[in-house]
Amino acid sequence: MKIIAMLSRLVGFLALAALIVWSFVGMEIDRAHLPTGVAAGFSFVGRMIPHGKADFRYDLSLRDQIMQPLLDTIQMAVVGTVAGAIMAFPMSFFAARTSVFPRSLSAAIKSYLNVSRAIPTIVYALIILSAIGLGKTAGSIAIGYVTFISLSKLYAEALESVSQGPIDAVRASGGNSVQVFVYGMMPQVFPHYLATSLYSFEYNLKDSFIVGIVGAGGLGAQLLDSIHEFKLLDTGVIIALLIVLVNVVDYCSYRVRAVFS
Amino acid sequence: MPDAIVIKQLAHTYRGGAPVLHGLDLTIAEGEFVGLIGLSGAGKSTLLRCINGLITPTGGSCIVLGEAVEKMPESERRLLRRRIGMIFQEFNLVDRLTVLKNVLIGRLGYLPTLSSCLHRFPASDVSLARECLAQVGLTEFEGRRVRDLSGGQKQRVAVARTIAQGAKIILADEATANLDVLTKDEIMDLLKDLVRDTGATVLFSMHDIALARRYCTRIIGLKNGAITFDAAPDQLDDAAVADVLARAEHGAMK
Repeated sequence: MKIIAMLSRLVGFLALAALIVWSFVGMEIDRAHLPTGVAAGFSFVGRMIPHGKADFRYDLSLRDQIMQPLLDTIQMAVVGTVAGAIMAFPMSFFAARTSVFPRSLSAAIKSYLNVSRAIPTIVYALIILSAIGLGKTAGSIAIGYVTFISLSKLYAEALESVSQGPIDAVRASGGNSVQVFVYGMMPQVFPHYLATSLYSFEYNLKDSFIVGIVGAGGLGAQLLDSIHEFKLLDTGVIIALLIVLVNVVDYCSYRVRAVFS
Repeated sequence: MPDAIVIKQLAHTYRGGAPVLHGLDLTIAEGEFVGLIGLSGAGKSTLLRCINGLITPTGGSCIVLGEAVEKMPESERRLLRRRIGMIFQEFNLVDRLTVLKNVLIGRLGYLPTLSSCLHRFPASDVSLARECLAQVGLTEFEGRRVRDLSGGQKQRVAVARTIAQGAKIILADEATANLDVLTKDEIMDLLKDLVRDTGATVLFSMHDIALARRYCTRIIGLKNGAITFDAAPDQLDDAAVADVLARAEHGAMK
């Protein structure tokens, strides 16, 4: 038995090594052109950054063009996260492996979640776009669905890691099933639910850029157009906004999690 | 003294497992402080959980405060459990909630579901909970979160919770096993005072033989799911201890 275990571990290790080597070789990095390529990359980024007053004035003039899509992006992320979280809450109870529902139900729901999770948001966005047309409603639905799928799984994992102790204690002192849920379980899972929901909101902000690329509303479309039309100053402004937005949300979510830990 | 607990031919087998309890007979009078000793796996926890109906035994009967637990539906067991406090080795408090809230959990069985789930407690219950905290010496800790307390303080919160329940019977499942020597005594003293002041009955499973000898009025030895010793502490000599704690060749070991 020991030899088989060692052999299978060795095979696994060799397979992993082969995968890594194959992936890097597959890059076909052209060493001769590497210096010029890197220089071109830097100049590309350099042209996104404003030089001088005229460039700054141009950046500011984009305000009217960019403000509405930016707000759309934020709205899509908020609506998608809230709707997804609300739907995921009840779903997680059926998805979790607990003693309440049969194991087969949990297994069936988990495989559905896993299949759905393998598909990127942009694919859902394309499907919904073809059904209801261009715009931020389609983007919100796609983001909401993906959030529902991933939060159902994460919430269920939090439920599965609950310790039985406080549940026993509330039951043993005469609490009914609702009280056991509110006092024995919720305090244990609430910090996890909050943290994963906030993380998912950050992720959704980035996702709502991506779905914008296929026309589901938000700044993504502007980002792609600016690159195609070589208006790199526009690209720079949009990326800067994304960086600020994601970091502001990250900071706020850190503060909120600290309060409710 | 009337009987607090009457156990008749109690037997239990967990689904897919070996039998844990084999036809136990046991009567405990009100006001007794009973120590339950035995190896891990001897069936001590299972016995305690049959008494408050967390487990329905596969055979026999537990008559607690005059009522047969195994015959009751869950709704009636809840009413009975209000009068049976339970403290645990791992404390089993709700770590994120305050000390006062944890004591108030002992009142949940007396309160309507909706308001209690909104964390609303009647003023009379809050003042009762404060009195219970004073009794265990934790008055100044009421607003602290339980997770910031030491092990001994946590167990005192658990004792306060059973006092808040107005428990007539206290089941303690290895409740001093995680505590240091001095803190063990503090907890035992609290329970002893409770027995003296309220006439409560204590059934305490423990590994610490010296502690059992000092505090209990009666000691029961459980071995492979059967009672092999049942007498006053002064009769628990070293030979008797060795017999209870001897590992059998074919036991219900995990």
